[in-house]
Amino acid sequence: MMHDSPVSNERPSVHGAPLTHRDRLRSPETLTLAALLIASALSLLCLGSLVAEPKALFGRSLSAIPPSLFPMLVLTALALLSAIALVLQLRGMVPDEGAPLSVPDSPRATALFGIMLLYALILTQIGFLISTIVAVSLISLLMGARSIPQIAAVAILGPVLLYLAATRLLAVSLPELDVVETIYAAIPGL
Amino acid sequence: MLDQFTQGFAMAMRLDTVALMSFGLFAGMLVGALPGFTTLMAMAILLPISFFLDPVVGIPFLLGIYKGGIFGGSVPAILISMPGTGASVATSRDGYKLTQKGQSRKALDMALVSSVFGDTASDIFTIAMIFPIAFLVMQFGPPELFAVLLMSLVIIAATSGTNPVKSLMMIMLGLWLSFIGTDPLGGVERFTFGLFDLKSGIPLLPMLIGVFALPEVASVVIRNEKARKLTSLVGERLNWAELRRCMPTIGRSTVIGTMVGIVPGLGQIVAAMMGYSAAKNASKHPETFGEGELEGVAAAEAANNAVNGPTMVPLLTLGIPGDNVTAILLGAFVAQGLRPGPQLFEEQGATVFAILVAMVIANLLFLVIGYLSIPIFSRLVTIRTSVLIPLVIMFAFAGTYVYRSDPVDLLMLVGFGIFGIIARAAKFDVMPMVMGFILGPSMEYAFGQTIAMSGGDTAGFFLTERIGALCVLIATPVIGFLLWKRLNARALPA
Repeated sequence: MMHDSPVSNERPSVHGAPLTHRDRLRSPETLTLAALLIASALSLLCLGSLVAEPKALFGRSLSAIPPSLFPMLVLTALALLSAIALVLQLRGMVPDEGAPLSVPDSPRATALFGIMLLYALILTQIGFLISTIVAVSLISLLMGARSIPQIAAVAILGPVLLYLAATRLLAVSLPELDVVETIYAAIPGL
Repeated sequence: MLDQFTQGFAMAMRLDTVALMSFGLFAGMLVGALPGFTTLMAMAILLPISFFLDPVVGIPFLLGIYKGGIFGGSVPAILISMPGTGASVATSRDGYKLTQKGQSRKALDMALVSSVFGDTASDIFTIAMIFPIAFLVMQFGPPELFAVLLMSLVIIAATSGTNPVKSLMMIMLGLWLSFIGTDPLGGVERFTFGLFDLKSGIPLLPMLIGVFALPEVASVVIRNEKARKLTSLVGERLNWAELRRCMPTIGRSTVIGTMVGIVPGLGQIVAAMMGYSAAKNASKHPETFGEGELEGVAAAEAANNAVNGPTMVPLLTLGIPGDNVTAILLGAFVAQGLRPGPQLFEEQGATVFAILVAMVIANLLFLVIGYLSIPIFSRLVTIRTSVLIPLVIMFAFAGTYVYRSDPVDLLMLVGFGIFGIIARAAKFDVMPMVMGFILGPSMEYAFGQTIAMSGGDTAGFFLTERIGALCVLIATPVIGFLLWKRLNARALPA
């Protein structure tokens, strides 16, 4: 839905209240657009140092086109589009695309990604089983699980079954501590 | 071609292909039936399993998830008015009304039968058309390929979301990400910042799982969804008279879905809405639509499933994924060493036919598995998310790790997941970015070859030798604008 009055800065939000200029400045859209504009403009300015010189043989380039040509076209287009979108956004001339994430949502998402980052960092360090037990337990708690047997069952059975399926059925490796590998090997029939 | 078809048919009839496809169908229906969980998420997370299977087993396994997931999404749409996938939004309009009238079993049966019919008919169309189209594509040179790839990206931008500027930006961002690593033409490093891990570029799998699956998981966590109250499965089954009455609608929707499927970027949601609108317009009693009309369920389900087969046409002939699910399928093809494009039909014709025949076989299995499992899937709405979400995250991490056994991929996964969440908050669609990333190297290669072929006079070269490619380039913005205009003018049918 395009707005008929592009000069009006009082575009109603999805919740009915008009969006102020300050709201628009702090919105995720504006911040993302500004980040893309800055990133593409900086990359264009520093293109010479971000793209290596083309390889040459006897003074002739081995490449049909300079390696920076296509990136330069794309980055220029991105910078221009970001600038246009930013202006449209700040002037309230963009179509209404539905409700944004509300502020109270953020802590749960932050906690989830914090756990996932921890999981990514420890998975190869302390092995698949222990890292998964930690991550799955924390995520279960975040999801509101309070039953210890349920959390324990999911956190232990899940990684054990997945590890055995991956290593025994699909013959692929997952990072695991030697001591845990020894325990798996001691299970009869595996 | 007949030899290749015969070989492909034999390959598709392998027991392991049928078994894994059945498992994929079941898994797809299961995930699709869970509110908040999508086919896309299931495919992204289970994609790595396909890497360790033979191509004629692994790819049908993913196709099973794809087909099963779309039908699975109609279960919560009909039972609790919560579409499991975007493609089931139109289904929920009449499906849930039928549930309220005590006819949920009839609605689910109709969803299943029309899904299978739409899917099978469109798959047969795909088998008949894909080789002639591939033959045509073989005549393409770099300028034509560049023009078609550019047109595909513009169509994707025009059909994705309501703001084409944002979609174009995401395509440019995807192209930019595809530059990271080694230049496909000159072999020099670009945008690696001297980091060894970036020399081989960004791997596709962490990006796919990160931007498609993790934001879905995060949205369930953010909404703090719990299990739902089970709506019992009641009412009579679908009878022949009702099915016969709906057959013209199913046929019409199948044609609509097939046409929509060929165009990259449109996908099941558009097909379902168009099928539903067409059925309502053609009906003698349009006022019954939205009030529990069986034809409404049939129209939406036949159309959204009819998209499945034809999306393989641009994917297999040009390497252009029609939507985010086929982008994941493209990842599977590439990982299996099957590079989609016209050469694939020359080098691996039997494998291509095996995959296409497997799609038809999957539909027969789909009917049987779906019919027997409807009561099971209808209970899935009660499963606790506190059990499912941790397991989904575990699968996402394990799947990403086994792809290259590189811990950096796990950090990329989280990074792309965060990006996916930010993109959602800022109302950017990540699908164009993934398309730009996938098509970037081919596009740059075709661009470089075109410049080299033109010998410095690109405009003259197009005007004198490549009129066809020039016409496509000129028509591209016009087609993009018309598509955007048309799609944004059409609101959800009332």
